[in-house]
Amino acid sequence: MAINMPGVGPDVDGIRPEEADAKELEGAGKPGKRLSPARLYMRRFLRNKPAVVGLVLFVLLALLALTGRFFTHWNYEEADFTALTVSPGSSGHLLGTNPAGNDVYAQLVHGLGRSLIIALTVSLLTTAIAALFGATAAYLGGRTERLMLGFVHFLLILPSFLIIALVGTHFRGEWPVLVVVLTIFGWMLTARVIWSLATSLREREYVMAARFMGVSPLRTIVRHMVRNIGSLLIVTFTLGVASTVQSETALSFIGFGVKQPDISLGAMLADGQNTLSTAPWLFYLPAAVVLLLTVAMALIGDGLRDALDPTSHSGGRA
Amino acid sequence: MIVVATNVTYFLANAFLKPASNYLALRPPRTTEQINRSLALYNLNPDKPIMERWWHWASNILLHFDWGSSPTGGNVNDQIGYRALASGQLVLGSTILSIIIGVGLGVFTAARQYKAADRAWQGLSVLSFNTPSAVASLAVVLVTISLNQSLGHSLLPVAGAQDPELSGFWPVFGSRVTHAILPTISLTFISYAGYHLLQRSLLLDNINSDYVRTARSKGLTRQQAIRRHGLRTSIIPVATQVAFAMPTLFTGAVITETVFAWHGMGEYFTKTISTNDVHGAVAVAAFGALMTAIGAILADIAVVALDPRIRVS
Repeated sequence: MAINMPGVGPDVDGIRPEEADAKELEGAGKPGKRLSPARLYMRRFLRNKPAVVGLVLFVLLALLALTGRFFTHWNYEEADFTALTVSPGSSGHLLGTNPAGNDVYAQLVHGLGRSLIIALTVSLLTTAIAALFGATAAYLGGRTERLMLGFVHFLLILPSFLIIALVGTHFRGEWPVLVVVLTIFGWMLTARVIWSLATSLREREYVMAARFMGVSPLRTIVRHMVRNIGSLLIVTFTLGVASTVQSETALSFIGFGVKQPDISLGAMLADGQNTLSTAPWLFYLPAAVVLLLTVAMALIGDGLRDALDPTSHSGGRA
Repeated sequence: MIVVATNVTYFLANAFLKPASNYLALRPPRTTEQINRSLALYNLNPDKPIMERWWHWASNILLHFDWGSSPTGGNVNDQIGYRALASGQLVLGSTILSIIIGVGLGVFTAARQYKAADRAWQGLSVLSFNTPSAVASLAVVLVTISLNQSLGHSLLPVAGAQDPELSGFWPVFGSRVTHAILPTISLTFISYAGYHLLQRSLLLDNINSDYVRTARSKGLTRQQAIRRHGLRTSIIPVATQVAFAMPTLFTGAVITETVFAWHGMGEYFTKTISTNDVHGAVAVAAFGALMTAIGAILADIAVVALDPRIRVS
């Protein structure tokens, strides 16, 4: 195991150049070899077995969403009236059909893609907004900071689920609208966490130096403060994907999210609810995909946190 | 805070819901003027300035505690009174259950860190923590249906809050309890894991601290020391977590109530929005805010009771 703590491994800086070259030749992974941060994170991440399983699952699901529609000649919108509610494997339908004759496999692939797009966009946007907002509040300080925090607290107590549902019904379930409202009401808690981290960054020397050298506030915030909480942002992003999938599923399930003719995993679950005892595959197939997706994201998030956080010991040493 | 949240919801609901659509499908068709006249009866006339309507609505609540009526004339107060009780029963029951199960599991697994039992429970918790509530409640229904079918008679009812044909206190009570079992199970399943994972990591931070070691050296067993000293300090953040978990639990309850046809607030919430019932939706929002406030107060009480450093005068 490579150790790159000063004073523990062989002292690389003390070795004369020609000896260092000789050491290089002995091959990677031997004591004394310095690791680049990316390789270090990689190594820590790969050591965490559940996280690797999560990553593999996520890649497989993403591949299915991207290429899945080439494996069937059915379209998710098109109804096969010769096969209503057939069970998986019969009448040329890989995973059966629903009562309207839609091919479940085609719907599943499309729904997975829809849920993934919504979740990834929302999570990316909320993380970006939260990072900028939190870091700006911490950087500016004083009255502005209190004002911005008050705004966050105010948004937090609003019944956001209800408001999202209100707006969602108004726009008749178009998914870009869903992305917008989920973003508007999804960034506050993250912003608060980032703010509390950034307040300690504000007192660091490099931020002070930038401030006194007259670097513009926006530049300081983006280049010095946001960049130094980058690892947290990556973790927040992954966990955000899991929670957005959950919100989207919940909204579509009660009929305020994605609606016919478009389909998402939550909408499929809502369809499956009515035929639970007669056609259970309409429920357990989308349910399994949703579960795989959220659990995979959670495992990846956990693994990344262990790999990126320097104070965490759960990833083992190095 | 509850007041502000409720008022904001009032304006948003007025902006996005169109109560007039309830009358558009009526035969013979009505003119806009006729529709507006019937809506004016319920303080929903879109021609009237919003501030005037708001003033009417707010003063009715303040003076008579009257939350208005739905676009077709149903009284919101009657609905809320009945549904709040049904919902509160479900949400409170599963909150208490999930705290007990979560904290209990947290203590159990923290004492056995990295042993097989710890890993197994943690895997289960990660799974349940990430289960969307729709999946959880439908899975419970699916399992029960297959159980019922294999047993030949229905073991537990999967829909409704009580049997409508029963009378008398004890039969009704028994029926309510059996009807509540399944929704409570599915709600508890999605919410216990948060407490479990939090309690486990907090207790692990405390388990090797000085005061636990001192207690051990005074002759307590490891179990006693953990329970009396380690648990007491590490349960405090869990208690504050409860307050923040209330809103999420409420959304979870919306799904669960829809699945189990439980006539509570969650089901009412979906109904008000799909029928463009402005006043009903606002009342649901107020109820949700109230639940959050109750959760916060309970959490404060728990913290004061547990933390030896906080003194109440």
